Amino acid sequence: MVKAVKGTILKCDPAVKQVILSMNNSEREPFIIEDLDETHLFVDTAHVERIKRRVEQLLEENTYKIEQLDPKQ
Amino acid sequence: MSQKFLSKKRRGDEEYKGPVKKISIKQSKNERGRGSKSDGVVSSSSPALNSDSNAGDDDALIPKMAMLNADAIIYASQSENSYSSNDPVSKLFGKQDFSNILLKPDHESRPLWINPINGTITLEAFSPIAEQAQDFLIAISEPISRPAHIHEYKLTPYSLYAAVSVGLETEDIIEVLNRLSKIQIPESIINLIRQCTISYGKVKLVLKQNRYFVESSYPDTLQKLLQDPIIAAARLVNSEDEKAGIFKEKAPSLNGLVIVPPQKPPEKSAEGKPETNTEEASKDAKKDGSDLFHTVNVKKRCNELDYPMMEEYDFRNDNNLAPLDIDLKPITVIRPYQEKCLSKMFGNGRARSGIIVLPCGAGKTLVGITAACTIKKSTLVLCTSGVSVMQWKQQFLQWSNIRDSQIAVFTSDQKEKFSGPSGIVISTYSMVANTRNRSHEAQRMMDFIKGREWGFVLLDEVHVVPANMFRRVVTTIAAHTKLGLTATLVREDDKISDLNFLIGPKLYEANWLDLASKGHIANVQCAEVWCPMTPEFYGEYLRANSRKRTLLYVMNPKKFQACQYLIRYHEERGDKIIVFSDNVFALRAYAIKLGCFFIYGKTQPQERIRILQNFQYNPKVGDTSIDLPEATCLIQISSHYGSRRQEAQRLGRILRAKRRNDEGFNAFFYSLVSQDTQEMFYSTKRQQFLIDQGYAFKVITKLDGMEKAPNLVYQKKEEQVRLLNEVLEANESDAAIDDDVEANADDLPGTTTSTNFERIPGYTRSSASLKSLSGADGMSYLESDGQTFRKAIGVGGGSLEHLKGNKGKGKKRQAEEKAQQNPFFKKYRKK
Repeated sequence: MVKAVKGTILKCDPAVKQVILSMNNSEREPFIIEDLDETHLFVDTAHVERIKRRVEQLLEENTYKIEQLDPKQ
Repeated sequence: MSQKFLSKKRRGDEEYKGPVKKISIKQSKNERGRGSKSDGVVSSSSPALNSDSNAGDDDALIPKMAMLNADAIIYASQSENSYSSNDPVSKLFGKQDFSNILLKPDHESRPLWINPINGTITLEAFSPIAEQAQDFLIAISEPISRPAHIHEYKLTPYSLYAAVSVGLETEDIIEVLNRLSKIQIPESIINLIRQCTISYGKVKLVLKQNRYFVESSYPDTLQKLLQDPIIAAARLVNSEDEKAGIFKEKAPSLNGLVIVPPQKPPEKSAEGKPETNTEEASKDAKKDGSDLFHTVNVKKRCNELDYPMMEEYDFRNDNNLAPLDIDLKPITVIRPYQEKCLSKMFGNGRARSGIIVLPCGAGKTLVGITAACTIKKSTLVLCTSGVSVMQWKQQFLQWSNIRDSQIAVFTSDQKEKFSGPSGIVISTYSMVANTRNRSHEAQRMMDFIKGREWGFVLLDEVHVVPANMFRRVVTTIAAHTKLGLTATLVREDDKISDLNFLIGPKLYEANWLDLASKGHIANVQCAEVWCPMTPEFYGEYLRANSRKRTLLYVMNPKKFQACQYLIRYHEERGDKIIVFSDNVFALRAYAIKLGCFFIYGKTQPQERIRILQNFQYNPKVGDTSIDLPEATCLIQISSHYGSRRQEAQRLGRILRAKRRNDEGFNAFFYSLVSQDTQEMFYSTKRQQFLIDQGYAFKVITKLDGMEKAPNLVYQKKEEQVRLLNEVLEANESDAAIDDDVEANADDLPGTTTSTNFERIPGYTRSSASLKSLSGADGMSYLESDGQTFRKAIGVGGGSLEHLKGNKGKGKKRQAEEKAQQNPFFKKYRKK
């Protein structure tokens, strides 16, 4: 019998895909249902928001903000 | 400087005087008790804040530092209520809403605004009188950001101190500022200027005829100082005549440096016109160390009393120190801005101690040499590494008529003394500051250095010297004048303010763009090229520790390709290219893969010379510390975390390009950055300094035409994977940074030969108060249209077979570990 799994397709650039993969590997319950290709992933819908936040956060870390130079100002 | 300007604008100024007066009357209620002994004008108009009576006492060497903040806070709270605007957007600006400040009726012809809260001055650099205004602002404030059209400056206690020390008077500063300002000068700013200048510059420590004199044009101040027990104790009292301690004499005059001015010898009576009172405070500095000790004490005490002393050296009247026969060679030409620096230094016919800031490649060395030729006394030059010692020596020989036998070099390899009574010694900071055991020879050399008086001490690259080392150098050497030279007055720790009081105020800071537009340094196009990480590399990157990460983002195959593409493109244009890397592993990999020469720490000297000579004919090689005037294009593939200084120094490699005066000539500076990695963060941070000098970094997200370029390396997935494996197998130590020049044991951290500043991943160094001198605060990011540039890049794509690139590097492991023991590194704090 065919088993249907509900999920969301994520389209991302190759680097972000790597972020998500490594995130997936560090979790107890993997949320990636299928690794489709270089830029597409099929994931559990419940985790989508969290993935977004995490990716955002990671990219943020690599952004330089002027305030960091002088916290007093 | 602003004299002409003063008279021109005198009229317009009158109308604004009224309100100012009112303010100062109101304010004078707050007057502080301190300083009331000085002359009337000052005390009646010193609207001190109560809170500042403690400021300045904390650190005897750094008076009044905290003042600006106190000022700002109090002013802000006072004025909060008065700002009630109905404008719906006002609230968005908070306390920075200045919409109620009225513009002067003729504001259009005036070039600047002043922010009443933080003392920031915004200048319209396109105004017709901007040039004079800049000259004035550079004297009284710190340049923060100087791009093409709008400049930002900031008034700080330091900058005002520097202003006073070059001879500006409080009232002049306020008056000229008022003339230039579009708005009435806010009372808070007037207060700031008054407070900061009230006591600065009143007292000078003058060394003449080998005696230290405390000199002041304010008799009251002198009397006050005399009442201080410490100072009184140091006073030299002539037994024959009670009154001998105080001399009156004419103020020194500036009658052309070469001609000795008709100055009377000090007279004991009040006969000659008593423009200046000179009190002899300490004595014959030559006799023994205790005198020197007194001088230091007096200096310190004066700082505590809020009368910081300025040091001047009346070198023309110094007959005790043997003159040095040194002159610039007739063919040596001094550029206008170099002359300007020197005129600040020798402004009143005496030599002042201070710091001069000029971009790399703008001829700092020549400024130093010219100063030495002006003073004509024994000179000690201190630099940061053995390599620059040799460069200084060679420059002295090149520009001046000094004889070889009069220049001595003191490094770990060479210990020479000059012959004759005077001469020049060139050494490194570490050699002189070393407190550990020395070899017999080195000890003798040190005794030689300590045992004599130096007319002039030149301190190269002052920004890299740790403060405690500096203190040691400054206190062990009896020097009459100290001149600090630097390109980037930015320190990644907070010690910049110490320099101010250890050496002297900043005398001059050049505008990079200005020099570039006048052809003294090359025009540079800066670009940051984003190279995407391949999925395999990025996957590993996410798993790796931080050291490995560095290696991974440097070795990104896409970066290889970008580098190869750029090299090929520029080679076809006829540019000479240098590629810099901090990492030897990557350096080697790039060089081998792209078929070019490379130089790093272990390169043998013969090999090095051969490669460098080759560079003159073939565009190939790079090096951080040897001048390569042929280089016109610089590509950095890896760099030192967020070091702004390194960025500026690297840029300096191409600023002196020989071809800079060719029509339409541009030098190119590329930073290759792996996308979505920490490198992005560091890269932006590194650029801040240059951005504030007015350079615009273009971001190139994609090099047009790169896909079509033939024969790019690492195009196949298998090759990329093989590279990845190599990287993963690489030793951890391969990720370490290495230098291109064999590091010398006495090189300092952070010099071009020893690049281990700021290199602990995951840590940032506090940089809080660099700003005062560095112009590093209030950064702003500026980017201009990259279209034209991108287009230019896009045209490439020929099929030259051989590529070139090169290298740069970092340093040796042990030296690095050693340097981490350095107090310099204790400043790290976790992010």
